[in-house]
Amino acid sequence: MNRLRVLKLGWEFPPLINGGLGVACLGLSRALSQYVDLTVIVPRSAPEANFDGFRLRGLNQITVEELETVESRYQYESFAQVREIPIHIDPYADEPTSIEILETLELFPGGEIRFSETTRKQLDSFKIGELYGPDLGAKVVEFSKVAAKLAMLEDFDVVHAHDWVTFLAGVEVKKATGKPLVVHLHASQYDRAGADARGWIFDIEKYGMEEADAVIPVSSYTGEIVVSHYGIDPAKVHPVHNGADPVDAFLTKKKFPEKLVLFLGRLTAQKGPEFFLEIASRVLAENPNVRFVVAGTGEKLRPLIETGAFRGLGGHFHFTGFLNKEKVNDLLSMTDVYCMPSVSEPFGLSALEAAQFGIPAVISKQSGVAEVLKGALTADFWDVEKMAKHIIDLLSDDELRQAVVAQAKADMEASTWDAAALKVLEIYQEVTT
Amino acid sequence: MPDVCLYLQVHQPNRLIPYDFFRIGEHAFYEDDGMNAGILNKVAEKCYLPANRMFKQLLEEHQGRFRMALSISGMVIEQMERYRPDVLESFQELIATGSVEILAETYYHSLAFVHSNREFERQVQLHLDKVEDVFSVRPRVFRNTELIYNNAIAAKAETMGFDGVIAEAVERTMMGQSPNFLYRAPDTARVKTLLRNIGLSDDLGFRFSDKNWCEYPLTPEKFASWIVNSPGDVVNLFMDYESIGEHQWKDSGVFEFWQALPEAIIEAGSQWVTPSEAVDLYRASRVYDCQFITSWADEERDLSAWMGNVMQQEAIAKVHRLEEAVLAVKDPDLTHTWAKMQTSDHFYWMSTKGGTDGSVHSYFTPYPSPYDAYIYFMNVLADLQIHLRRAQEKEDAAAASAGLDDQRTSESKKG
Repeated sequence: MNRLRVLKLGWEFPPLINGGLGVACLGLSRALSQYVDLTVIVPRSAPEANFDGFRLRGLNQITVEELETVESRYQYESFAQVREIPIHIDPYADEPTSIEILETLELFPGGEIRFSETTRKQLDSFKIGELYGPDLGAKVVEFSKVAAKLAMLEDFDVVHAHDWVTFLAGVEVKKATGKPLVVHLHASQYDRAGADARGWIFDIEKYGMEEADAVIPVSSYTGEIVVSHYGIDPAKVHPVHNGADPVDAFLTKKKFPEKLVLFLGRLTAQKGPEFFLEIASRVLAENPNVRFVVAGTGEKLRPLIETGAFRGLGGHFHFTGFLNKEKVNDLLSMTDVYCMPSVSEPFGLSALEAAQFGIPAVISKQSGVAEVLKGALTADFWDVEKMAKHIIDLLSDDELRQAVVAQAKADMEASTWDAAALKVLEIYQEVTT
Repeated sequence: MPDVCLYLQVHQPNRLIPYDFFRIGEHAFYEDDGMNAGILNKVAEKCYLPANRMFKQLLEEHQGRFRMALSISGMVIEQMERYRPDVLESFQELIATGSVEILAETYYHSLAFVHSNREFERQVQLHLDKVEDVFSVRPRVFRNTELIYNNAIAAKAETMGFDGVIAEAVERTMMGQSPNFLYRAPDTARVKTLLRNIGLSDDLGFRFSDKNWCEYPLTPEKFASWIVNSPGDVVNLFMDYESIGEHQWKDSGVFEFWQALPEAIIEAGSQWVTPSEAVDLYRASRVYDCQFITSWADEERDLSAWMGNVMQQEAIAKVHRLEEAVLAVKDPDLTHTWAKMQTSDHFYWMSTKGGTDGSVHSYFTPYPSPYDAYIYFMNVLADLQIHLRRAQEKEDAAAASAGLDDQRTSESKKG
């Protein structure tokens, strides 16, 4: 069989990166490029970015002239009913905050809606502003229009779209080219904004998954949500766990005698920082020789500081604010227990990174990574008593600690991007035959 | 026609560095020396030096007819000793004129009274010693941090031997009485309470340069006429020294105003007195019953500027909770470092109040937000506790080996 040709649609991509999505896209792309011919389209790529094994195309680097030949060959599909799109979108909020009409569609005789010609201005929009700025909604729509045209210039067998920001583009590409669509769900609106979240992003996620030939959630936990919450046919849902790139783990001696329990992540409801505080107050009641560190920032920071003060935890419950990678590693190198009480965590790469530093993890059952780190101690995110007990046990029972760390080490060895790529390859083969 | 009693407050806090988590256990220096020296320099140039020069000249010119009082916190004396001995010298010269009274206060400009009787006494004593050492005077009148006051503080001041105590004339406790008299607190025999005339003091401290104020521009003559037309024995003008030249800038004409004020008051027929002179001159025939704590801070004029939110409450409670342990190890440096953490400004910067008061809080804060102020403070406190524990362990070890020695000696005696 010939090598498959894959067109991947991504959003952030190293070195232009905001969160875990970019890391995962790069990791998977690298591993996949051993087995398939791969082109990755993203809204913006760094001019100097050059990757062995696959081609990265940023719309910020495309010219209007390149698209000229396909302008007349394409018409709107997904947007036929769209009259307006919301901008000023915050994916962590339930509702789009304002709505503005960007472009009015012209109805040609016979009901056909022509795709407007790509303008320089459209392409320029990918060069400026933030990838997740207030015009995220507009960028998502523009990306899908241009990516669809660009796809018509490419030869490929399957299109693979990562997360809701590229789902519209994926559907457009499928409709324009007739190639099968695989969508990859790294995080859903269910995780970010709760089970009741509805709105534009939710609709796009559902639409993308419905139109897709296969859906890849990053864990079985997320696969459950895809089926039960989004109503997607379980037959086309194939979970694939993320891999983890090896990190240079090191150890630092703490400057203080107390044990250190770490929470790392955005301070949003999804990550459960309030539960971490509840856990801390229970552990401290039993064992005052512990320091709890909250590394990260977000809308929960100030309420969390105030609650900590109200509970009298200050002095043992610390806030570092946002930390760069280097500082995060410094912190990991002195951490005794990693705690991830996420309310809904599709995967949770940071727990794997912590494991590489030999840190035992206490994680919520609502975390995908629990399927990978089989030895990690788990509890429901709301079961703070049990979480606290796990932490107390790990801090006092060396045998347990060693067992958890040893198991994590074994689990880590199986968690490679190569293993993930092979599973994805199987899915490609299934949708192309 | 009432007399005029002027007291000006001199204080600078020790601001902390952005003490992040990674410093805990590693970095034992908490204060931002650069910033503290920088601000002292700035205030010295804008206020302390020119104002001292001006007042010294006025005091000499009026040969005792113009008199005033200063209260100088231990914190700012230390800062001047360290960074600007020349500024301290100019204060010393001012006080050497004999027409400037120094008031007593808590050395660390703290809220110790609210939390610990013993620590409060210790700090007042420290301040008395320092003032005697630096200025060779013995204060007779007590001024608590930010005019924090209630009946108990008046009684405490009396027990400690003071003749007078300063307070804010807070409307809700004044019951319609005039601040321009001396008062007696319930359950005191001798000590007299001097109440700040809020309106006239704030005319100078806050409104002076406000162009939207209906009395703008204020002239010394106009102000003197307000004073002499007031009822009572003495009008108490109490404010921050920094309001001359720093809160009210030089180009507002604040120096020209003060330059002419002593003469204008005398011209109008009134006389200047210091707080202890007012205490000697006037009877305190009325009772001022102030059961709940008042202060001169914020609209509320209570403790809410420093203890209004949970961060402030926790921070201040946790500092004071260390008292017994810190004093027990008898390490002067550790005790001093700990006590400096009690300075009221640390808690003032953690205030989350909005409105006009909120903007005053943020005018003075060295931090991006009250949350940062809290985080740095609590991290410093965590580090301080590590040092405390090490000191305790050292002491325990010393005690254990001493105990062992005793045992050996007694055993050898037995033998």
